[in-house]
Amino acid sequence: MTLSYIIESIISGILLGGIYAILSVGFGLTWGTMKVLNISHSVFAVLGAFVSYWLFVKLKVDPILSLPLIVIILFSSGAIIYKLVIRPVQRAKDVIMASMVATFGVAIVVENVMSYFWRPDPRILKPAYASSSIFLGEISISQGPLIGFIMAICAISLLYWFLNHTYIGKGVQATWQNPIGAALVGINQERVSLITFGLSIASAGAAGVAMALIYAFYPSVQSIWTLFVFLVTIVGGVGSVIGTGLAGLLIGSIIGICAAFLPFVWVNVLLFALLLVILLFKPEGLFGN
Amino acid sequence: MRDKTNGRYMKYGLFLIVMFMLFVFPVLKPPLFFLSLLFTAYMYVALAESWNLMGGYTGYISLGHIAFFSTGAYTTAVFMNRFGVSPFATALLGGFFAAVLAALVGYPVLRLKGAYFTISSLLLAVVMQLIFMNWDFVGSSVGLWYKLLPVSIEINRMIFYEVMLFLATAITLIVRWVEKSKFGAGLIAIREDEDVAKTMGINSPWLKMKAFILGAFFAGVIGGVYGYYIAYVHPEVTFNINTSLLILLMSFFGGCRTWVGPLFGAIVLSLVNQLIVTFIGAEISRILYGMLLVVVIIFMPDGVIHYIRGLFVHRKIRHGDSIL
Repeated sequence: MTLSYIIESIISGILLGGIYAILSVGFGLTWGTMKVLNISHSVFAVLGAFVSYWLFVKLKVDPILSLPLIVIILFSSGAIIYKLVIRPVQRAKDVIMASMVATFGVAIVVENVMSYFWRPDPRILKPAYASSSIFLGEISISQGPLIGFIMAICAISLLYWFLNHTYIGKGVQATWQNPIGAALVGINQERVSLITFGLSIASAGAAGVAMALIYAFYPSVQSIWTLFVFLVTIVGGVGSVIGTGLAGLLIGSIIGICAAFLPFVWVNVLLFALLLVILLFKPEGLFGN
Repeated sequence: MRDKTNGRYMKYGLFLIVMFMLFVFPVLKPPLFFLSLLFTAYMYVALAESWNLMGGYTGYISLGHIAFFSTGAYTTAVFMNRFGVSPFATALLGGFFAAVLAALVGYPVLRLKGAYFTISSLLLAVVMQLIFMNWDFVGSSVGLWYKLLPVSIEINRMIFYEVMLFLATAITLIVRWVEKSKFGAGLIAIREDEDVAKTMGINSPWLKMKAFILGAFFAGVIGGVYGYYIAYVHPEVTFNINTSLLILLMSFFGGCRTWVGPLFGAIVLSLVNQLIVTFIGAEISRILYGMLLVVVIIFMPDGVIHYIRGLFVHRKIRHGDSIL
């Protein structure tokens, strides 16, 4: 238990946290802006991981190169899910509850379609560079998480830029702050919602690729990923991109520190218990506004 | 007046005849498959009815029902393994432990509303599953086995069939009685508008707590018997999140506002589910019930019974009429 070991654990935790942040940011966005609690969010992350995996295994396409394709595929599936499920559900009296239950259905369908066609075996994305490490003095940083982290930071920055510096992104924010006012100045709410939802699913897909570089994935892993998404989103405050990013890093460091001293399963128990405590005492999140 | 009384006697008569026929069904020596099929159907009826106390009447959708169910299963398994006590004797104790757990968890968690409540209840099940996976006293990831009853498999299945039939009937009748009582009216008032209910003098925290504990107690008893039925408990089996979702779907499919809905939904869907699982495959069955969940939420938020009735009286059913 040397100092460099502890620093290594913290660094790998922070890298992991960045990936959790990008996994969660789209989820918080749809929850905050559209009042759609999308349980099927992380099943699409697993779908992204699978697409990337097959492109890598069958066609030898590098996961980083196939990332734009995955974003496009998942944006389209997000748009389809929006048209088929989310749009009708948005008419319900309590949109959050209705969307939550309906997207539970979507998650079951997608998960089991994946496990029907691709079998429920665990898989891991292993391009050659993912298994080597960089050394900084005595501290080694493995490249898989590092690349995932860089992907995550790029994706979060892109999303932040989109929301604050593009016309559609500003429309999304306006709709979120005042739906009626936004409609009055001519913002097409349905189109804005479709783009928001599609982007959220696309960000999940990118996060899925990053996750696949670190962890083994299989269709039913989505339920555990969903809990992590909840953890990060609730800690960061629903709908805040920066808050989610910070929460991801915070939780990543907690995971890193705990993983250095505890067996991995107890880390999960600890984290979910932490989420329960936060839900009870500070449901608006630690970084919420 | 006389017609009404006659109608009531007819209903009771019909009920007794159906119950009697179900009761003597095993004596006809049907293939064991049918007994298992019906056993599972009764179990889901009981689970859906007990879930509906909270999920249907108050609108607090819990995905943690499976945690109480598993508490019951583990109680009987541990008592059988460590002390050799028959699960039929300890099933009630399983219910008691589940109720205690519900009281401890319910006190903080029932203050949360909507999605926050649902997620907390889901977390309860997940955290318990993770703990049980790593707790050696309850068999950790190996699980615990029961000693089988010293009788032939036919008699064994027959006993379980009758026990579960009794449980399902009793729980359904109790839930029906609750629905018609003042207690049930209070629960429904909470669903309609909790703040208004509070100002009308309804002690909503206490009522929710009672419903939550009662539902958990039932789930614990059912779990205790179910564990003995499959003769093996394992965290992956008893804490399966799909079971929670299936219970939810059954209630919503039948219509979660009355006691009839979960009864109908559980019978239909558990039979369909088991037939598909047996003859086609578990994945196909889950794909179908996932789709069904979406369809029910979008098109028939008050359940299929309400929807069909609406078709016949040509009354337009509005989308999202209830909370969902």
